[in-house]
Amino acid sequence: MKTEDLIEKLKGIQTVESVKDSLKVSRNKAVYYIYRLRKQGYVKTKRVSGGKRVYSISFENRMKGTSYYEIINENSPVKITTPSIYKIYGKKPTLEETLVFAVKTGSLRTVLAALALFRKISNWSRLYQLAKQNRIERQIGALYDLARKIMKTRRMTEKFRSSALPKKNYSFVYFIPGLKSRDFEEIENTWKIYLPFNKKDLRDYL
Amino acid sequence: MISIEEQQTLLLNVSRRLKNKVIVYAVGGTAMMFSGLKESTLDIDLVFENEKDREEFKKAAIELGYREMDAVKVYGIRNNAPEMLKLNDERFDLFVNEVIDFVFSENMKKRAVNMHQFEDKLLLKIADPHDLILMKCATDRQKDADDARRITEKTKIDWDVIVEEAENQVKLGKEKAVFDLGCFLEKLRNELKVNVPQEVIDRLFRIVKKQAEEKIR
Repeated sequence: MKTEDLIEKLKGIQTVESVKDSLKVSRNKAVYYIYRLRKQGYVKTKRVSGGKRVYSISFENRMKGTSYYEIINENSPVKITTPSIYKIYGKKPTLEETLVFAVKTGSLRTVLAALALFRKISNWSRLYQLAKQNRIERQIGALYDLARKIMKTRRMTEKFRSSALPKKNYSFVYFIPGLKSRDFEEIENTWKIYLPFNKKDLRDYL
Repeated sequence: MISIEEQQTLLLNVSRRLKNKVIVYAVGGTAMMFSGLKESTLDIDLVFENEKDREEFKKAAIELGYREMDAVKVYGIRNNAPEMLKLNDERFDLFVNEVIDFVFSENMKKRAVNMHQFEDKLLLKIADPHDLILMKCATDRQKDADDARRITEKTKIDWDVIVEEAENQVKLGKEKAVFDLGCFLEKLRNELKVNVPQEVIDRLFRIVKKQAEEKIR
């Protein structure tokens, strides 16, 4: 069977048994097909409980590189699927870059998952630089305050905070159009940002 | 021919030589490779948003040893032919906003949601498969028809997207876009037995008829 047909039929999460079933082949042949795809770089293997091997088969695996979504998933209890491909080659993106990316997606679930990055973010000057370039300083500040309510984080520098806080004449901005928080109004007023989360949205962190 | 891995290394090397951030759209065989629809390609087709970015990219590729070549040898005398760079068997075809008979429209840019970033300087956005089919009809080569067939076999095609973009191209001044697409899809259906719904082809030629009637008025 041609490699591209194999990928087409097997893309997604598989085990030897599921490969055997979907291709209607013997166990040996199924193992061989997985071996062939792995040699070409299409397979990522994970050992789960009970010693069983689970394979993630996709064309993207061959592309190597890292994606922001992978970094978020590595660091967050809230797992996200990738709505689109964004691969990075030649460097591993920092957590600061990943957080800025997440905010810029404007996706509720991605931002929610990315909150966990505050646990490890330590380069506040870099984060401020990136946030300023993308004009999302207030959004990052508000998310930080929100993260502090539900998890231990490293402390934001005073410099970041004072530079990012809104001036008196700033008006409120929606994080996601139309969505306001009932439970975190205090943070919203501090940063003049409407947060798209309520307490129950954050239950995965509690 | 250039493989996926070689293409990645090459783009990474170009990125390392760029002075400023460049955003570029991959079309043709390159886009197909990044979408898992092809294993290798002869030419790396890229569309830039402005001349400045193309120049910057060209400069970086020339530093890598690429040499300029005459586009007439490949494309003949045509509007919007690319600037071409060559090294051994590999070739860059560098377009700005227009790909031969098509405008790389705002809608096409919006549909290019899959992205590949090479270090910090080069962001490659991959053209949507629907737009790849449309652009394949700009050239009349057998390999383009084969590529289009492959795309239809591997991707779920929403024919409305293609027809609407062809109409959009007419609005953007590419008068022949719907006609060319109609002929191309008809060829795919009749000669290569691609599953193009007849009603899509009929719809395209109804638009062409209307275009012709409006000319008479």
